[in-house]
Amino acid sequence: MLKYTIRRLLLLIPTLFFVALIVFSLAHAAPGSPFDAKSNENKPLPQATIERLNHLYGIDKPVWEQFALYLSNAIRFDFGSSFVRDRPVIEIIGQGFPYSAQLGVQALLVALMFSLPLGVISALRQNSIVDYASLLFATVGTTIPSFVIGIFAIYIFGVTLHLLPFVGWSTPSHWILPTAILSLGAMAFLTRITRASMLEAIRQDYVRTARSKGLGEQVVIVAHVMKNAMIPVVTIVGPATAGLITGSIIIEGLFSIPGIGRLFLTSIIQRDYPLIMGTYMLYAVLIAVANLVVDLTYGIVDPRIRFDR
Amino acid sequence: MATITTSPGQTRALELNILARKQRSLWRDAWFRLRRNKAAMVGLGVVAVFVVIAILAPFLAPRDPIQQTTANALADPFWGSPQYTNPEYPLGSDQLGRDILSRLIWSTRVSLWVGFIPVSLIFLIGVSVGMLAGYNGGWVDNLLMRITDVIYAFPDLLFLFIIMAMLRNTAAGNLGGGLVLMFVAIALVNWVGMARLVRGQVLSLKEREFIEAARAIGAKPRRIMVRHLFPNVLAPVIVSVAFGIPSAMLAEATLSFFGIGIKPPTPTWGVMINEGFVVFSTTPWPVLLPALCISIVMLAFTFVGDGLRDALDPRMKT
Repeated sequence: MLKYTIRRLLLLIPTLFFVALIVFSLAHAAPGSPFDAKSNENKPLPQATIERLNHLYGIDKPVWEQFALYLSNAIRFDFGSSFVRDRPVIEIIGQGFPYSAQLGVQALLVALMFSLPLGVISALRQNSIVDYASLLFATVGTTIPSFVIGIFAIYIFGVTLHLLPFVGWSTPSHWILPTAILSLGAMAFLTRITRASMLEAIRQDYVRTARSKGLGEQVVIVAHVMKNAMIPVVTIVGPATAGLITGSIIIEGLFSIPGIGRLFLTSIIQRDYPLIMGTYMLYAVLIAVANLVVDLTYGIVDPRIRFDR
Repeated sequence: MATITTSPGQTRALELNILARKQRSLWRDAWFRLRRNKAAMVGLGVVAVFVVIAILAPFLAPRDPIQQTTANALADPFWGSPQYTNPEYPLGSDQLGRDILSRLIWSTRVSLWVGFIPVSLIFLIGVSVGMLAGYNGGWVDNLLMRITDVIYAFPDLLFLFIIMAMLRNTAAGNLGGGLVLMFVAIALVNWVGMARLVRGQVLSLKEREFIEAARAIGAKPRRIMVRHLFPNVLAPVIVSVAFGIPSAMLAEATLSFFGIGIKPPTPTWGVMINEGFVVFSTTPWPVLLPALCISIVMLAFTFVGDGLRDALDPRMKT
């Protein structure tokens, strides 16, 4: 297991290298520099100033040289300075990260809190009204995109009823709508998986054995059915987390939350290369680590899976 | 090409057998199951209406979708209070005085293109690469797996964001108002998933007896792939395509909503939401109506996709 973990972590290095290479080339393939008069049409900068800025930020060098420089700095955790904000990228990201982390963790907790009971209940009462309602919820929640649901929610709870604020992240009441909307997708997805895997587990022979040796219904459900039904669910939490990480970009944009998702959005629109690279690499690492953690928990919850071989 | 020779008697027996037992292929069975699935049929109906609207857009739309008449800006839809409605704009107008109904109708066209073209590209590239990699193995397979490792490391939505944001002001990004770049970007991000799916299917199929039999009678790899493997991987591929269409449409809507998708003035539901957002808290309809259209079309395609999955592979039913 340790060997497997180390190998997976080492594999991250070439993958991240390629991610960096491709994103870097894409960012630099765009015509012009961020300081071009074209970028700020309202007040064009004089040519000499643009050249000086280009020189200052090293954009006048050939792209491969810039990339080599970027990599050698990145290894020392120096991700450069933002063109627009004029502060180190790492500082900007450090400031935004707590917001995104809080949003993501809250959404994951809410999703788990509702989806697990919902999935279990609808499996135990298959084809009941509760079951149909939760299936309908699961379909709608996974199908309708979060920004569309967010728009409806803002209209109903914010604009019409004036119940909840929907811009920013300043007070706990600001947290409610973004957290709820972000959690919906994962919640629907997890409900579906929990239900399916409960139904699968209920039909197993060991459940019949447990019943036939006279165990109480509660013990059978909790100790035999649910214990086994949770294996697929645990493995789905990982992809669901990855979904939450990317989904938070859209939610942060929609609700103007000052986290890294919004930083990413503004940086690509402002063509702020260092910040684009910084935020994108952070997302790539987060998702890779989320996937690794899932694969490892897979082995812990299901001893039948072995990594060495 | 090899044929199996039979005596006249055998042929007759075969014919009788076929006549007596009405032939039911996988596809007939699947269609039968699909037809009994109410949600899928409703979804199919909605998709059909949507396609017809997209094709007939120029005849259905009452007004020019991009013509601005500022004097008639921000009219309410017909169910609003009479002082704010305008009979010439049945679903109201946006802040530039453009007819929302016409814009919604024209948007279906863009959505249809975005739904079908990238998915066709994904189908073509994914199926051919996947079959080659699965059947031949070798360097194609190695290359595919390495590309997959890298592409899977890219959070796909973010990658789309970057491609669109960086390249949309280049010459390639201007083709068709950003449509062409969108097609390529969506295909680029998604073909690997299809290739992986097909490869996996081919890997397990090629060990089966009917492939061995085909090889034994001397069929060439090309023929085996086209005639024997392709029909057998088609079912999961169709399901994947059915889900690929709405997800491509969603990608367009999301990108356009954030202002880095299709370029205005081309109307799309995402662009409409983006532009209407400025006046959302006072005049919600220019945003709510396209949001509603997106929801309906997404649900319809998902119902069809779910139905197809259940019909083509009943074992996978959840």
